[in-house]
Amino acid sequence: MDILISSIVAGLLIGMALALVALGLTIIFGVMDIVNFAHGEFLMIGMYTGLFTAQSTGMDPLLTLPLAALVGFLLGVLCYAGFVRFLLRGPMVAQLLGTFGLMLLLRNIALLIFGSEDRALHHGILVGKSFDVGMEIILPATKLAAAGLSILAFGAVWLFMKKTRIGKALTATALNRQAASYMGIPAERMNALAWGIGVSSVTIAGALLVNFWSVNPYVGLLFTMIAFAIVALGGFGSVPGALFAGLVVGLITEIPGFWDFLTLAFSAEWMENVPMTSFKYMWVYVAYFVIMVVRPRGLFGWKY
Amino acid sequence: MEVLNSAFDFKDFPRLDLTIAALVAVFLAFFPVLPHSSFAMATVIQFLMFSLYGMGWNTIGGYGGQVDLGKAQYVGIGAYTTAVMLTKWDISFWFSMPVGVCFSVLWSFILGYPLFRLKGHYFAIATIATSLVLKDLFEVWDFVGAARGIEISPIQFPSPDFIRLIFKEDVYYYYLILIFFFIGILYMNWFRKSRLGFQLRAIKDNEEVARSLGINVHWAKIRTYAIATAFVSVVGSFHACYIKNIEPEDTMSLDISILIALMAMLGGAGSLWGPIIGAGILIPLKSYLKEWLGARAGLIGIDLIIYALIIMAISAFEPRGIWGIVQKIRRRRR
Amino acid sequence: MALLELQGVTKSFGGLMANYDISFSIEKGELVGLIGPNGAGKTTLFNCISGVFPLSSGKIFFDGEDITRLKAHEVARKGLARTFQVYVASGDMTVLENVMVGCFMHTRSRSKAKSTARQILDDLRIGDLSEALVHELPVASQKRVTMATAIATKPKLLMLDEVAAGLNPGEIEEIMGSIRHLHDDLGMTVILIEHVMELVMKISHRIVVLDYGRKIAEGPPEAVSRDPSVVKAYLGERYAQDSTVDGG
Repeated sequence: MDILISSIVAGLLIGMALALVALGLTIIFGVMDIVNFAHGEFLMIGMYTGLFTAQSTGMDPLLTLPLAALVGFLLGVLCYAGFVRFLLRGPMVAQLLGTFGLMLLLRNIALLIFGSEDRALHHGILVGKSFDVGMEIILPATKLAAAGLSILAFGAVWLFMKKTRIGKALTATALNRQAASYMGIPAERMNALAWGIGVSSVTIAGALLVNFWSVNPYVGLLFTMIAFAIVALGGFGSVPGALFAGLVVGLITEIPGFWDFLTLAFSAEWMENVPMTSFKYMWVYVAYFVIMVVRPRGLFGWKY
Repeated sequence: MEVLNSAFDFKDFPRLDLTIAALVAVFLAFFPVLPHSSFAMATVIQFLMFSLYGMGWNTIGGYGGQVDLGKAQYVGIGAYTTAVMLTKWDISFWFSMPVGVCFSVLWSFILGYPLFRLKGHYFAIATIATSLVLKDLFEVWDFVGAARGIEISPIQFPSPDFIRLIFKEDVYYYYLILIFFFIGILYMNWFRKSRLGFQLRAIKDNEEVARSLGINVHWAKIRTYAIATAFVSVVGSFHACYIKNIEPEDTMSLDISILIALMAMLGGAGSLWGPIIGAGILIPLKSYLKEWLGARAGLIGIDLIIYALIIMAISAFEPRGIWGIVQKIRRRRR
Repeated sequence: MALLELQGVTKSFGGLMANYDISFSIEKGELVGLIGPNGAGKTTLFNCISGVFPLSSGKIFFDGEDITRLKAHEVARKGLARTFQVYVASGDMTVLENVMVGCFMHTRSRSKAKSTARQILDDLRIGDLSEALVHELPVASQKRVTMATAIATKPKLLMLDEVAAGLNPGEIEEIMGSIRHLHDDLGMTVILIEHVMELVMKISHRIVVLDYGRKIAEGPPEAVSRDPSVVKAYLGERYAQDSTVDGG
């Protein structure tokens, strides 16, 4: 029973952070119908930003969030203005391969600068601490903080989209690009803004994740795929969908835990021999495939 | 008979193209007798292999316009079928290669049926997902050596062996893949003029119009996907015998899938020469950059950075690739 | 027996009735016009007949066969060809290659497809365009290419969706000639959606009028143009009997 509950809790906690990872992708897709393969690489940059700022200044990692957000915003706007803008004129193939090229570029620049080794944070107020909430469930403080701050950041972006003038303009552009431009909303600037906000939300997520997840230049692809799965499940372009789907995908990544639970519950010997932890992320890919085929619009999708 | 005639009929290309093609063909035929380093030999073999991968991709991705980013899984199926059959049961390449094609094609039908209900981005991402799932499975599957992969030990199999396709000298592999390469070109030359080829181009243009012309769009895509798969699987089997050491990471990774698509894209998707031009530029560039910058100067990753910049420039400014530029210039001249 | 028979064809999108209870039939050898104001549901009806949309209710018979549930490509293979209002051919196919795709419905042989396609293009008097790229042509020629491609499937019934829209009077005259040629000389049964009244009134044997998704009138051109409900559906009182008024 404890395994079950702690798997669920762990799944939900990581799910909140994953939702924030996917938020950026869904915003960018919503506004301009472009799928960004470099998404996970932005997360990696967020992780390195958090890591190195914390290590070089001795600051607590959690205090690096604003810097990560700023780096992300600038990087997003730069990528849009310097590159993605040109892709939009071309066919879809060009967009796919173009953002893939961006991914390769960022990954290998990171490799050149930081090397291929895993790096992790070893200090910070929360690192290594955990809460025992009874029932033998132990919550690592870093994960708890990351989940909480993810929800906060998620809420902030959502409020921004719903309440502020500029956020509403962004939402309007996402709903109907042409109509929005007739209303005098500058489409180009909205695109750049979407990239700024989209990328900064994922770099924030990166700076949060680095508290308990080691970083190397290859970390991005996994998160890109996870974000695709979340966005597919939640519906391309849907913000509340991303939150809900993030939690679901968080639970999917805990399938090995559930498997252990079932193994114990049925005390089935054959189940013990299945190397379930090796399949941890495979289920995310399977989920993506099944979701897309069964329900292409996702649960909350309005774009198709 | 008409099939053969069509395969050997290159008359619709201008004389200049055919002259260049003939010169390249002659060069390739005599390359091994010219002075060359073993590194150059390996690079040319890679070029021929990736040209074939690219030709396969070009059927569904180029003529059909379906951006398939999951071809690596079929490299894996082909390579593993051959490697497993050889190391476990001592079965000849010439038997295991067709068996690998059968497995690959079967798998492609199973996946293709649901896959082609998706379009555009969704399709492309789903192809990646399927390929990664298979790779993850192979990485834990003990029968195929899990993450360690399979090694075809040269001690176990004496060389030269034309049945098992085990050689010490690259030149044997070279001529074999060169023959495959020429067969591939002839096949593609037939394919682009065949009914299916025409139907695919119509599908790429406009699916609704294609349907109104009596084309079963879903089925045409699945069939073409299987053709592309067969190409890739054959070369995958060859890869196993040539490299002799296969792992999930270097046969089935996403990078291989992307590289395959990229060859065709850079050269010009949907044209006969596109994949060959693309491979002819990218493969030498990749291996020499890696050699000079990576190995000698110790700048790990800089080859891929330059690579990435090329991809980005192509996709931003000339998505039709090099062949697209050539065609544009020719149209203007007329 | 009618070549095409619609029985209570109804199509709704969500709550919106695009076509409601439409019934009419077309005899072999007829040339029928389908008209109606913008948004009357003409193109939706074409899409329903040609299998692009599944019907909400009703039945469609073609040549004595129930084609209600057939998919678009199956309908096409039964001998029902159509053109599209907005034809986007962005690709790199030439006119000849486009028409060949249609020919490939009946043959596997490339040389046969090519010669048939040449014949059709010459027949429509656009043989000189055969090596041009479709998207580089002027609209009038593009419309003819789409017609040629549809004809290449050797249809029993040809459905033309606004082939004269956006053309100048001279071009309209030409395309009218082509349609007459297909009908009179090649014996094709034709149904056409048209906004250009001049054309549709002149060449149709019979006209079906849709408004708000319903059939409001059916009959010979003169009778239909005098029908009060039709006049009302169009520009109210202004459209009397003047058949040159463009009803768009």
